[in-house]
Amino acid sequence: MELNPALLSELERILGPKGVVATQEGRMAYECDMLTFYKGAPDVVVLPETTEQVVELVRFCRREHVALVPRGSGTGLIGGAMAPVGGVMVSLTRMNRILELDFPNRCATVQPGLINLWLSQATREHGYYFAPDPSSQMVSSIGGNASTNAGGPHCLKYGITVNHVLGLEVVTGSGEILAVGGKTHDHPGYDLTGALVGGEGTLGLLTAITVRLLHVPAGVKTLLASFSAIDDASEAVSAIVAAGIVPAALEMIDETFVRAINEGVGAGYPKGAGAVLLIELDGPDAEIEAQARRIVQICRDHAALEIRVAQDEAERALLWKGRKEAAGVVGRMSPSWILQDAVVPRSRLPEIMREVQAIGARHRLVIANVFHAGDGNLHPMILYNDLEPGEVERAMAASDELLRACLVMGGSVTGEHGVGLDKASSMPLQFAAADLNFMARFRRVFDPDGIMNPGKLLPSHPACGEGFRPRVPRVPAGTWV
Amino acid sequence: MTVAVSAPAALGDALAAIVGGGHLTAAPSQLAAAAVDGVIPRWLAWPGSMDDVSRLITVASAEGLAVAPRGSGSALDLGAPPARLDLVLDLSRLTDILDYVPADMVATVQAGVTLEALSRELGKHGQMLALDPYGGATRTVGGVLATNASGSRRFRYGTGRDLLLGARFVQADGTVTWGGSKVVKSVTGYDIPKLLTGSLGTLGIVVEATLRLHPVQPASGSWLFSFTSREAAGALVASVLASSLEPDRLAWLNAAALGRAGQDPAPAAVAVSVASVAEAVTSQGALLDSMASRMGAHVSTLDEGFWTRMGGALTAATVVKIASEIRRLPFWVAEIERATARHGLSVTVVGEAGNGIFRAAAEGSVSPESWAREIIAPLRETLAAEGGSLVVERAPLGLKRAADVWGPVPETAFAVMKRLKAEFDPRGTLNPGRFVGGL
Repeated sequence: MELNPALLSELERILGPKGVVATQEGRMAYECDMLTFYKGAPDVVVLPETTEQVVELVRFCRREHVALVPRGSGTGLIGGAMAPVGGVMVSLTRMNRILELDFPNRCATVQPGLINLWLSQATREHGYYFAPDPSSQMVSSIGGNASTNAGGPHCLKYGITVNHVLGLEVVTGSGEILAVGGKTHDHPGYDLTGALVGGEGTLGLLTAITVRLLHVPAGVKTLLASFSAIDDASEAVSAIVAAGIVPAALEMIDETFVRAINEGVGAGYPKGAGAVLLIELDGPDAEIEAQARRIVQICRDHAALEIRVAQDEAERALLWKGRKEAAGVVGRMSPSWILQDAVVPRSRLPEIMREVQAIGARHRLVIANVFHAGDGNLHPMILYNDLEPGEVERAMAASDELLRACLVMGGSVTGEHGVGLDKASSMPLQFAAADLNFMARFRRVFDPDGIMNPGKLLPSHPACGEGFRPRVPRVPAGTWV
Repeated sequence: MTVAVSAPAALGDALAAIVGGGHLTAAPSQLAAAAVDGVIPRWLAWPGSMDDVSRLITVASAEGLAVAPRGSGSALDLGAPPARLDLVLDLSRLTDILDYVPADMVATVQAGVTLEALSRELGKHGQMLALDPYGGATRTVGGVLATNASGSRRFRYGTGRDLLLGARFVQADGTVTWGGSKVVKSVTGYDIPKLLTGSLGTLGIVVEATLRLHPVQPASGSWLFSFTSREAAGALVASVLASSLEPDRLAWLNAAALGRAGQDPAPAAVAVSVASVAEAVTSQGALLDSMASRMGAHVSTLDEGFWTRMGGALTAATVVKIASEIRRLPFWVAEIERATARHGLSVTVVGEAGNGIFRAAAEGSVSPESWAREIIAPLRETLAAEGGSLVVERAPLGLKRAADVWGPVPETAFAVMKRLKAEFDPRGTLNPGRFVGGL
């Protein structure tokens, strides 16, 4: 886009002078999300404060054939909130209010820029919370969560973001305000709410979101079981699921991470453990007591070295601190890493973990793992040194093999991070041409001119991305997984 | 776009060649039995595979035929009368469980599998599909998903929207398409299964469904809390919702429903079930008991069979479903009881109290015009203020003609739905006229 003075002044008219960032240094702050592998600064950044401004903005961009890229907190991991072909980036951080808390109807309506954790903080004293808890929840926005259909450790029991979105106000790519769903259930007609969640900004801009609130469970029990071998831990996960127990969370931390977390965060995980399971149960006290006893037995049967049960909230927080800040300690292990997000059917967990180790060995790289074991959602981190010739290529080859191994087992190329620019070209691995064609037509219904977040989610622009790769891929420390 | 129109006999032969002669009929008695809202099709086919469905739809699309898919046929009352109907596609032969790995808690099944048959298979491994539409054991997975049917368990487990992970479907031009995934967690591309759930087959016909399963809990208990007023029953629902109790069902019954379910009469009652480990069932039951007793409830214990009897209570020629704000459900039950009583009707009400949804089955005689103008229209008008809806799920043809069975859909949302239908079924092959706004 050629950002001529006339266009800029029109944007300033719509958003006010404080709502437009057009300076070089200002724009560079928005050139990537947390996957800094892909860079593409927008021509201009706008910060709307009202739905009306968003409508005017979309209509203006549609008229001028200018690309629009929505952005929440920018904590995504898929090259979603960046502008590979330039255009206008719409930062929704100023639309961050809670519009309504409605406890009798167990829901809340919020603006897209509201930070995920703030909603639970605002509702907890009333006995409620917002269940989706991506590890980034202290900084990521609910609009971003809904756009990427974010997961989190507790979606094993409670489902991903879409299961908690009741209604949306969306400004579509054609510039209409579309209000779908709401406080009441089962609206007649197509479930547009469900189909719009996870749209990654390719269908429209979310301007208000009605979400389900859950009552805070009566009790919480957090256990930590360590094993000498990751195989035993994987088998224990399968056995827990097979026993008919759906824990609130069931997380795996491998040897490499246990070491790094102990050094970096001081979580006090058992030294020398080959794998650690972090298991959380919530619900009525009698239920979680009985389930905890059963889980302890299962872990013992699978040769657990040690089993700890958090005795109070402080201990529980410490056990979780290591998990939540895991990605941040990666910098201690390696200068660079590639993070994968892929899924296998949970029964294949032991098998895929052996495969991950084999792939690492084959490429002479360490692959560290901390992930949502309960639902088979892997986050292998391939560690490499970008100063060593050939390591980047080996790391990328390993990453690709991992993805394919998951698909061979019947899995998925992304469990919770999304597609974005990063995996748009991987979509044909999982979907046939007819499937992708259906999705492309679905997209066009909402965005007839192709101005919404072009190049993302579908492999429609195969060249996109290639030109924006820095020489060295890099994911910063402090990333949330 | 041109539509080839073949001679009827040749067309019948072409369709029969796809499924085999024994699986296509044009016999008047069978066609009459397959009529949808009185509209008699020209053929009734029983495809035996995904490929059959695809080829039938390909021919139908090319020949400009209108197709109505059906499962067990129990929910054909849902929807407006068809604008056109040539071919009824009965999916009841597609009964294979294609893939079921208990440790994954996921199953892929063909659309014609009944909930009963699936439940038998899953039960062997202590698992279930947590969809329990009323009177639903003989209903098929495909039909339940297409109509977004749900029952009391939705309070804990959600609806088809939450349980359908992936779907293989046949588009209106016959193209076999896959959407979603076969794992419990995936955000790869648009969530096409959400679009298909509840779409009444108007965008595509789901032939295979990949479903999220749940473990059957080791113990369960059910209780009935009967009250002398709706307000008191509503107060119990509100208290349960504001507590950390975790029931899996939270149902509302009016006096008529209690009678039909074989319980002692009372103006309103709340039936609750809890499923968990035995200790937690006992402790939650005790909490519920003391909470309800304080509010003046008469408490009785229920057997598991109650839930089937409750679903069976909704048999009447006319059934409407109302969705309101959760906290307003008692108010709307009162409204419909009053509105129908004025016309000499009596209603049986069964509801999902934790979701703001209830159904009212009406007995008695009133003209379709009075139903439409004096009962449905005013209720819809006030429901709209809180974003609620009233859908006529079952009614004699007269009422279906007098009242829009789906009710209004907000203009901008409907415009998008119309564009979706135009994009994915431009010739109106799939169930034309039966969905919202005549889609």
